[in-house]
Amino acid sequence: METKTMLNARKILAAVLVIALTIALTACTGGGKSADSSSGEKSSGTAQTEALSTADDTKKTYKIAVMPKLVGIPYFTQTGEGAKRAGEDLGVEVIYTGPTKADAAEQVKMIEDLINQGVDAICIAPNDPNAVIPALKKAREKGILVLDWDTPVDINEVDASVHQIDDKALGEHIFDKLVEEMGTDSGDYAIITGGLSAANLNAWIDYGTEYAKEKYPNLNLVTDKIPSDEQQQEAYSKALDLVKTYPDLKGIIGYSTPAPLGIAQAIREKGLQDEIVVVGTAVKEDCREFLEDGALDVGCLWNTEDLGYLTVSVAKALLDGETLTNGMEMEGFGTIEVKEDGKTIIMGPPEDYMK
Amino acid sequence: MRYLFKKKEFGILAVIILMSVVLTMLNNVFIRPDNLIDVAKGNVVLCIMALGMLPVLISGGIDLSVSSTIAMCAVVGGKLLVNNGSNLFMMIAVCMLSGAGIGLFNGIVIAKMKIPPIVATLGTMSIVLGAVLFYTNGDWITNLPKWFGEFGMIKVLGLPVQVLFLIAAGAITWFLLKFTLIGRGVYAIGGNAVSAQRVGYNIEKIQICIYVYSGAMAGLASVMHTSIVQQVDPNTFTGMELNVIVAVVIGGASTMGGVGTVLGTYLGVALMAILKNGLVLAKVPTFWQKIVMGSIIVFAVSFDVINRKREQAKLERVDVEE
Amino acid sequence: MLKKMKAKHANELILLVILVFVIILMGMLSPTRFFTWGNLATIAFQMPEFGLLAIGMMAVIITGGINLSITQVATLSGIASAFLLSGDFAAQNPVLGIIVSIAVGLIVSVFTGLFNGFFVAYVGVAAMLVTLGSMTLFEGIGLNMTKGGSIAGFPSAFSFIGNESILGIPVPMLIYLMMIVISYFMLERSNWGVKVYLTGCNEVATRFSGINTKRTLLKVYVFSSVLASIAGLVLISRYNSAKVDYGSSYMMQSVAAVVLGGTSINGGYGTVAGTVIAVAIIQVVSTGLNLFGLNRYLIDIIIGVVLIGVLAIRFFNKKWETAQLLKISQSDTKQSQCR
Repeated sequence: METKTMLNARKILAAVLVIALTIALTACTGGGKSADSSSGEKSSGTAQTEALSTADDTKKTYKIAVMPKLVGIPYFTQTGEGAKRAGEDLGVEVIYTGPTKADAAEQVKMIEDLINQGVDAICIAPNDPNAVIPALKKAREKGILVLDWDTPVDINEVDASVHQIDDKALGEHIFDKLVEEMGTDSGDYAIITGGLSAANLNAWIDYGTEYAKEKYPNLNLVTDKIPSDEQQQEAYSKALDLVKTYPDLKGIIGYSTPAPLGIAQAIREKGLQDEIVVVGTAVKEDCREFLEDGALDVGCLWNTEDLGYLTVSVAKALLDGETLTNGMEMEGFGTIEVKEDGKTIIMGPPEDYMK
Repeated sequence: MRYLFKKKEFGILAVIILMSVVLTMLNNVFIRPDNLIDVAKGNVVLCIMALGMLPVLISGGIDLSVSSTIAMCAVVGGKLLVNNGSNLFMMIAVCMLSGAGIGLFNGIVIAKMKIPPIVATLGTMSIVLGAVLFYTNGDWITNLPKWFGEFGMIKVLGLPVQVLFLIAAGAITWFLLKFTLIGRGVYAIGGNAVSAQRVGYNIEKIQICIYVYSGAMAGLASVMHTSIVQQVDPNTFTGMELNVIVAVVIGGASTMGGVGTVLGTYLGVALMAILKNGLVLAKVPTFWQKIVMGSIIVFAVSFDVINRKREQAKLERVDVEE
Repeated sequence: MLKKMKAKHANELILLVILVFVIILMGMLSPTRFFTWGNLATIAFQMPEFGLLAIGMMAVIITGGINLSITQVATLSGIASAFLLSGDFAAQNPVLGIIVSIAVGLIVSVFTGLFNGFFVAYVGVAAMLVTLGSMTLFEGIGLNMTKGGSIAGFPSAFSFIGNESILGIPVPMLIYLMMIVISYFMLERSNWGVKVYLTGCNEVATRFSGINTKRTLLKVYVFSSVLASIAGLVLISRYNSAKVDYGSSYMMQSVAAVVLGGTSINGGYGTVAGTVIAVAIIQVVSTGLNLFGLNRYLIDIIIGVVLIGVLAIRFFNKKWETAQLLKISQSDTKQSQCR
């Protein structure tokens, strides 16, 4: 049947045209927007092959991939700014990319894609430290430098670990602030965290609660930590539920930057600014509004841009072949603290944002 | 009186009342007016979207793209407020029109190209969400103008303004479904599309209207959502479409089409809302909440089907015996 | 004979051509990196988990239903296995421990399949609603078991399943190929398979023909769950841990793949080959564009457009086709209900 083959040919042609057209259209518009990665890709693609054939390392620009837990929240947008600025200052190409929600599986896939793109270093803030290990192993086998930032992975699996602060210090500091603001060290409190498997948040919570058991034994945690998955609305509704369920609540701690804001919103709506203390990790700019009327009492964080910047800086230093020593000077950054294992880097002490 | 009992909505109401009694006994915070108002306010968005989904389900279709549509409208509305500082009227109009636009696309694809609604709206969901995330890069929109924040806090007779919008939306939907030709057409299509066509309904036009309505409702919901949380986070709406469908179905609509009422939808949303709120207040550990909700959904829909089958069996017996 | 095959499998052949075209297109976009062993290996590692879920979804869609709980079944059975894998028993007897935990995972999935199947087949609730409820239910059970975090600490031998290769072919790919063959024979070449298609085509008629549709449906859901659990096995091995929301995005994507592969959403028609090729197309497009550096969101848009686009094309071609047939024979227009 002649008509059948003609029919099939038409179908194929049409489908093919649709696909090609959409790709072409989006590639053209996409090329403009995602300038960091796509245009960089094409030029460095050729640079890569050149470098391989001439084996001339001195002219090669490092490709450093920095992956946050997710993109879209202010915290990781700011770290991205810092990372990209470092790229410009230090003359390296920075690919800042991550999943749109705190999804460990997506990160693994993106790491595998980055490996194929032939990057020199992968810096990752994992949503789940265990999930990324096989992928990181593959990266290291290919000679790619691996470091973690913001949230640690098993130290044996990475070449360096960039911590924004000492986890123990922050964990304890938050509880100190909570008690300070509450004005008493006995009372009910609750914790709203980000993702339940985020290693950094859990470290702070664990250090903090351990510390509180010893130093503030009359502080009573009313229920298990509640997840909000890095979503402010979740934190908001969970906080509302909390204040209704536990009317004697005196304080709420929010971990992960959207949480304290959501909690503060709930407090403000209920008019409980004076009754309930809210302390948490939140980005400075976002804190301001809630600090004004006391919905948020203390916001605690670190310089987000610096974190991004430092990560790239450390990656470049390691790619250049330097070893990390305590008190060493990082290009464009300042001095850093390095722990005995020669791998863990502490950026600095936490900053407090108050009224 | 018997007639009232037979109505499906009564069954749901009974369940709600029963649950409320149990929950109040577990934690009498539940019955407090401020708690109930909070629950109402917190579910306005879901309910408005459910009102938009209702005609779709009655017609035997489905709209999976509502979560992306509301995300898009929220972003559009947010940008409008921040960049142009327009007024409330404009914002609502623009948001609803954007939503209606997506609905129009859905409607045309479904009505004219006969692509099954589940597939078409699945594709639209992908496309719209991808576009929204691409455009915003996932960034939040904050710094909304102060007047909008005040708008969000307005209370009339103790009821938050969003609840009033909800009541209005419900009234409009009810009126459209019951008293307009298009509304009756929706039921007709859901009952039997071929017969409806034979009777003279313009199926394609009605289908397009249905999806436009769903999109417009999503747009309205986006305004309400932004007014409550005072920021726009494009990522927060994913997965919402399934919750909306569950609420409407529990409220009596069937995925097969042909049945469904506004009252039922309200009750369905109320049931889910009370359940969620109740579980928290009853201090049920977070991890058990999902188990309870999942089980209740399964049993609720089973119960409904079993009931219907029994009614059918009764009818058949009558016929045979006669 | 060839003509007959061409006519019968026109859909699959078209998809195959599209696949080849897409591969070439992606290759043109990133010539140096697409056709490397590394990249092909990555695709071979990432595709199986998606493909297995898609086949599992397809089986249910053929019966006119849908299985929204499929990803949760995968993770739940993965979590069940992980529980055992991270325990002392497995640490001391790795090989035996792995075998037992795989068995446990499969058993859990069979139970979920029975649960779903019971409500769909014997109670008669719409598949979408049952699986919507069971999706939440299984998620809750998984959350309870993991307390929201992830379970890790598997014996190192276990990562063989997800990360190693035999004779150069990644193990997940081998598992996938094996399941493709098994699914093909079960669905398209066995008695039960025929019953499945018939049930999907017209449940009432099939029932009155004497076939026990309820039992058939029940088995379909068990089949779907088993495939999901195999996918779950690959997942937890690749990610070296088990968590409730791994692979959650696969649910909608698998529906897209199934539909793209030519399966009718109303049931009664669909081929394993079509689904597999469609999965490959989506995977190649996704990986290729990623490699090219295209923004992830744009890739989502493209897949959505491709889905609607291909279906629209099918529709227009069907219109053209029936118009042709009408022209050829005025009186004999056969329209199968299942196409």
